[in-house]
Amino acid sequence: MKNKKRLLFTLLVLVTLIFPSASVFSQDDKIELRIAWWGSQTRHDQTIAVIELYESMNPNVDIVYEFSNWDDHWTKLATQAAGGDLPDIIQHDYQRIQEWVGNDLLLPLDPFIESGVIDTTNIADASLAGGRVNGVLYGFNLGNNSETFIADVDAFQQAGIELPPADWTWQDFEEIALKLHEELGIYAIGGNLHLSEHWKGTYISCCNAYAYNAEGTGLGYTEDQDHFFVEYLEMILRLTEAGAIPTIEETLARTGTSVEDSYIVTQQAVMEYGWSNMLVAVWAAAGEERNFVELTVPSFADGYPRNYIKPSMFWSISKDSPNAEEAAKFINFFINSVEANEIMLAERGVPVSSAVREALQPRLGPAQQAMFEFLGVVEGYNSPIRPPDPPAHADINNNLYGPQVIEPILYGLMTPEEGVQLLRQEAEILLEQ
Amino acid sequence: MADTALALPKRRVGKRSRFGENNLVGYLFISPWLVAFFLFAFIPMVASLGLAFTDYHILRGWNYIGLDNFHRMFYDDPRYWRSVQATVKYVLFAVPLRLVFALAVAMLLNTKRRGVALYRAAYYAPSVVGGSIAVAVMWREIFGREGLANFILNQFGEPSVWWLGNPDYAIWTLILLAAWQFGSPMLIFLAGLKQIPEQLYESASIDGANGFQKFFRITLPLLTPVIFFNLIMQLIAGFMTFTQAFVITNGSGRPLDTTLFYALYLYKRGFETYEMGYASAMAWVMLAVIAILTAIVFRTSSQWVYYEAQEGV
Repeated sequence: MKNKKRLLFTLLVLVTLIFPSASVFSQDDKIELRIAWWGSQTRHDQTIAVIELYESMNPNVDIVYEFSNWDDHWTKLATQAAGGDLPDIIQHDYQRIQEWVGNDLLLPLDPFIESGVIDTTNIADASLAGGRVNGVLYGFNLGNNSETFIADVDAFQQAGIELPPADWTWQDFEEIALKLHEELGIYAIGGNLHLSEHWKGTYISCCNAYAYNAEGTGLGYTEDQDHFFVEYLEMILRLTEAGAIPTIEETLARTGTSVEDSYIVTQQAVMEYGWSNMLVAVWAAAGEERNFVELTVPSFADGYPRNYIKPSMFWSISKDSPNAEEAAKFINFFINSVEANEIMLAERGVPVSSAVREALQPRLGPAQQAMFEFLGVVEGYNSPIRPPDPPAHADINNNLYGPQVIEPILYGLMTPEEGVQLLRQEAEILLEQ
Repeated sequence: MADTALALPKRRVGKRSRFGENNLVGYLFISPWLVAFFLFAFIPMVASLGLAFTDYHILRGWNYIGLDNFHRMFYDDPRYWRSVQATVKYVLFAVPLRLVFALAVAMLLNTKRRGVALYRAAYYAPSVVGGSIAVAVMWREIFGREGLANFILNQFGEPSVWWLGNPDYAIWTLILLAAWQFGSPMLIFLAGLKQIPEQLYESASIDGANGFQKFFRITLPLLTPVIFFNLIMQLIAGFMTFTQAFVITNGSGRPLDTTLFYALYLYKRGFETYEMGYASAMAWVMLAVIAILTAIVFRTSSQWVYYEAQEGV
């Protein structure tokens, strides 16, 4: 008897210990929305300000946010996907959305447009196309973007070199880079010329082809086109040798450097490779007194323009979101509210709504103006958006392109020819699987 | 409180049925730990053993593929062998270095001097914060462009080096970090040193033995059980090193995979390309390797570990 009482008591104690306050206390009727994005500090601050604005206008909604850098964002999302615990609203990317849709993790957004929850009257259909997978809209474009070389106008002037025209080639680039380095003693460009974007970009601009074939089952360029990428890598080696760009040692030792520490901000380089929306963060970090423009990425002689318009990122709604409609309302606010966009000022790329663009016009700072202007130039090319990378790209990029091809070439353990050949051989194997 | 504590032994000698009930209460009391153990350790371990035989991809789901993961590891994945190479090199240098440092410092702190307790605390501190992100970040700064390491080099008129971008040096920054974090083995060495009877040293002194002789004839032999323990623990910890490489090289394993530790590569496969099945298989291979190595060290221990008690004192 006594033992039973003791047992009961123990159980009670344990229950209260293990489940403290669990759902015993009633919760208020607020709708909770979870949202996750990646980005820089500028983006975090702005997005949080927009969320707070939305909450003040919709007191029944409580938005819980998670933000991180690019790598951590995807790591976190993957584990949340495996655990069935995805946020309601996810910042998504053109390269990854296809796989997520293929695995049934995202919600189609078309019904919200049909029902008028998301208003698209001021948005060109072309701006939405990138977010469609098999004709169904899964990602809502948050701004238009393109690859660019951000250039320090004052440094060009100081070196007595004219800004290059939009149709400049890699030969022009090499000449200019050497001259800039000679005149100013700093790097012509801050680095990142080893990234796989330039492998993919090489085949856009030399051959109007793409690194992968349309089905994602093999490479999209032929063996006799290998030499274009070899030429590109040889140029990198020459520029490194001349000291006009950072060595691979320096580049790798600096991986993970924030925008604030990038060489263009610290005036140790004249140019920096990135996406056009990056200029907003760069200029903010560099200070108002500096002057920048966005240049197209150089092309191959007798080739094709490298630049095309791409959605910078999307908002997507996760498949099992219990408050999908509320999530859609927030997306609508984010896209169409002038007030919200006045806070963000095109940090995620050029806004897709023409009404928002017009309303922003008088408030645009120099960074946004330069970006809008640049995207106008790229729009003029009318280049089609490139196909999203096949699922094998992450494996190819992380495990083959970097450690087995580019690093050995740039450390001088392998010739560019050998490396490009190896890349073809091994990538084909990974793509076939 | 005191009552129950005193009452307990009495009940123990009671009937068998009661004994069982008391056990139940005990299990109930440790149940939070049990729940956590099964939920967060045992079940995931069993699951990962199962997953090792699948191609489980976080987004794509899984299929049973038998031993394919192991085949891929050994024959089709050049990066796997580079990660093994990096890990073995690290363990080979970091573990002995750390143990030597730990022993040397322990001997210094074993002397009777004023303020020795303060030194003990000070030297242990790096290990308390050892595996933490903060230390790794600090280390990255030390070996950064404007860091302490380059500052010292510059004092000798040498040009700065990109430590973390140089395939010859990068791993040494990690090995040095490991050597610097000697605190926990040092503490164990210190306890071991205190066990050595003072009389042995006294009689050795009377016989005219010098410091070296005392160290090699008395200290080292009597310390072998402690060395043995530390060796096993550090060997296991060395193979599982993750945080340092993850933070210092930004989780890249660069340059040229020279800092791609096994645990880091496993993480990258699991969380970067989402190949959890493959990552699980890698984890179990590591477990097997560590188990075998530990067994080998245990086997050899009879040759070099000296237990006083065996001599029948």
